[in-house]
Amino acid sequence: MDPANNMLSIQNLCIYKNESLLFTLDTSLLAGEILTIMGPSGSGKSTLLSWLSGMLYPAFTAEGKLLLGGQDISQTPSHLRQIALLFQDPLLFNHLTVAGNIEFGMQASKSNSKKERISKALASVNLSGMEMRAPKSLSGGQQARVALLRVLLNEPRVILLDEPFSKLDSQLRQATRELVFEQIRQRGLTAILVTHDQSDADAAAGKVINLSNTRSA
Amino acid sequence: MIVDTSLFTRWVKLTPSILITLLLVPVVAGLLGVILPAFGWLPALGEDSVDFRGFKALFQTPGFVTMLTLSFSTSFISTFFAVILSILILGNYFDSKLLGHIQKLLGPILVIPHAAAAIAIGFLIAPSGLIMRLFSPWLSGAELPPDILLPNDPLGFSIILGLTLKELPFILLMAMAAMQQKEIKQTIEGQYKVALSLGYYPFTSFCKAVLPILYPFMRLPIFAILAYSSASIEIPLILGPNTPPTLAVAIMQWFNDVDLHLRIQASAGALVQVILTLCVLFTWWLLEQCVKRFCLSRLINGRRTYADMTWKFLTHCITLLVLFAIVLALIGLVLWSFAGYWSFPKAYPDQLVTLHWQSALQQLPEIINDTILVALAATGIALFLALFTLEAEQQRRTQLSSVASLMIYLPLLVPSIAFLFGIVWVKEIIGVNAVFSMVVVGHLLFVMPYVFLSLATSYRKLDLRYAKVAASLGCSPWSVFYSVKLPQLMPPILFSSALGLAISFSQYLPTLLLGGGRINTLTTEAVAIASGASRRISAVYVIIQLLLPAFGFILAWLIPKLFFRPRC
Repeated sequence: MDPANNMLSIQNLCIYKNESLLFTLDTSLLAGEILTIMGPSGSGKSTLLSWLSGMLYPAFTAEGKLLLGGQDISQTPSHLRQIALLFQDPLLFNHLTVAGNIEFGMQASKSNSKKERISKALASVNLSGMEMRAPKSLSGGQQARVALLRVLLNEPRVILLDEPFSKLDSQLRQATRELVFEQIRQRGLTAILVTHDQSDADAAAGKVINLSNTRSA
Repeated sequence: MIVDTSLFTRWVKLTPSILITLLLVPVVAGLLGVILPAFGWLPALGEDSVDFRGFKALFQTPGFVTMLTLSFSTSFISTFFAVILSILILGNYFDSKLLGHIQKLLGPILVIPHAAAAIAIGFLIAPSGLIMRLFSPWLSGAELPPDILLPNDPLGFSIILGLTLKELPFILLMAMAAMQQKEIKQTIEGQYKVALSLGYYPFTSFCKAVLPILYPFMRLPIFAILAYSSASIEIPLILGPNTPPTLAVAIMQWFNDVDLHLRIQASAGALVQVILTLCVLFTWWLLEQCVKRFCLSRLINGRRTYADMTWKFLTHCITLLVLFAIVLALIGLVLWSFAGYWSFPKAYPDQLVTLHWQSALQQLPEIINDTILVALAATGIALFLALFTLEAEQQRRTQLSSVASLMIYLPLLVPSIAFLFGIVWVKEIIGVNAVFSMVVVGHLLFVMPYVFLSLATSYRKLDLRYAKVAASLGCSPWSVFYSVKLPQLMPPILFSSALGLAISFSQYLPTLLLGGGRINTLTTEAVAIASGASRRISAVYVIIQLLLPAFGFILAWLIPKLFFRPRC
């Protein structure tokens, strides 16, 4: 897919909580760009990701447009948006193996080619030979990498990162962060990172928006 | 470590053992009480040799294989339908407000006694029932009730319908209760979102990401209803065929026969019933293994949808149909209870009279009195034991072991027809004549699991910091329990009490057997009337059966609002 198709545009977005304005936002991202969203708790960071993924909670309402590759997807159901989520918790499926979890994200194709791709992907994140392991048997950092592969091999156009490094210790955090950003840039994906941590924003090396500054009176 | 030796703490420590003993002893004694007579040993009748006469007589009973087939097929198929419908409803309304609305409806539907539900369904599907009347003659062309054997059809379709409609709310409610546990809720909601964001359609997301996590929490309730439905009495007795009936109904008839020697055959039947129930459970387990093997590879085959829109449409239709059937059944009951002459195919009675209400109300005061007394005693004991057992858990800082937890649900897992007759036999041997107490114990066996289950979640979620603050201010363990914990738990305690009362109101077999005809409740009377007397009087009894538990739930809802609301 042409990376230009991954350009994301948020136009005149106003999010309301119980009819009072929470924040406004108007911004665009080029393919491969990582936008960092910061702000205090309750400023609406996770709500923004919910809106982007089409899963806004019933207590919130939104006005505005979301364009992906020039196409308005504001009303598109979440499963058809090609916008993948990476949460703070890896949320791996314990009823599947490591390989099964990654395969869950992949599109239907021949089983052999899938297996080959999974092995290569696992090797690229230093998890060779862990295909048949149960997710529970992995460390926190290993689980985070499997969750990343599940999303990357899904080949989405946009990735939303909801504080995915916040539960990792500082050393692991840096290594995982570098891996995630490198993979995103290599694939020309557009990403939005929500974080409390300035070092995450620095590592993302992209535009930073502080949601507390976007609230209207 | 400082050990508190107050009377309260000592009682609390003892309660879990008392509770388990109270549940285990009658069930085990009851099972023993059918095993010995099953092999011909019944000294009260002068039978003291051990042989297989009972089993021989049982196997030679005309229609015995049909009885087994009917019991097996109706329980298995109805549970299968109830599980599939539950999955459809949960999956298609998983992220919708509708699920919350459905949950609110489930409580009242769940506490409708089986006998009442069976009678109401019978009224609905009978050839001269409300469904036929609504569609006649304009659609069916019938000017007279058609000659169809419904209910009581030989293949047990009516039983399947009755059991499915009764089991569906139970499975749904149990699944929803699991879904609302904090950790499970977070996991399933997160994984559902992950699946959606990876491109899976909503119902497929539910089936592939949520159901594998949720199903283990549905298993015990499913096994409980399989066990219950394979040996249930009320629904097959009212909706099922008579020649032959299901095995459980036949056993009950043999036990109650004037020929006491039939008790040996009945005891053998009760043992076969246990084996049949085990077979039903084993077959379900086999089905689970097949589904697991078949579906595991499909979970990761990359397919994002399996006709999601069709399933959604089907679920809407089924949900509406079930709601329509319930509303229609209730309307039918009210109409029948006031109906004078009601010619077919009119959908509304020719005349409305209060005669049936007057006639029923003359006989009711004593029956209602007994019903309420037994229910209050059983629920009171269950509440006391459940609260003290949960308090013991908190004092020990560990939950009941899985074996002890299973023991609490034992009366729901072992076919009641098997152990209740044994209890009667043991009671006769040791010469217990306290009929009221025996009926209360019988009811307690079935009330206890529900009261414990409904209280446990709230009790275990209590914020213990309040108790610690109270203790640090000098309150004794009893004061902490009475003045701090109980007031915080008042709404769930009231709800559990209402649930306990409702479960007791609905008991048929324990009252019939342990009461020996000397204690009659609304349910035993309703079943007796349903099998013979007027449809109109039956309707009156069923309505009162519905009103009584409803009254309990209304009180449970009102009392906290009136007496425990925060005051300015």
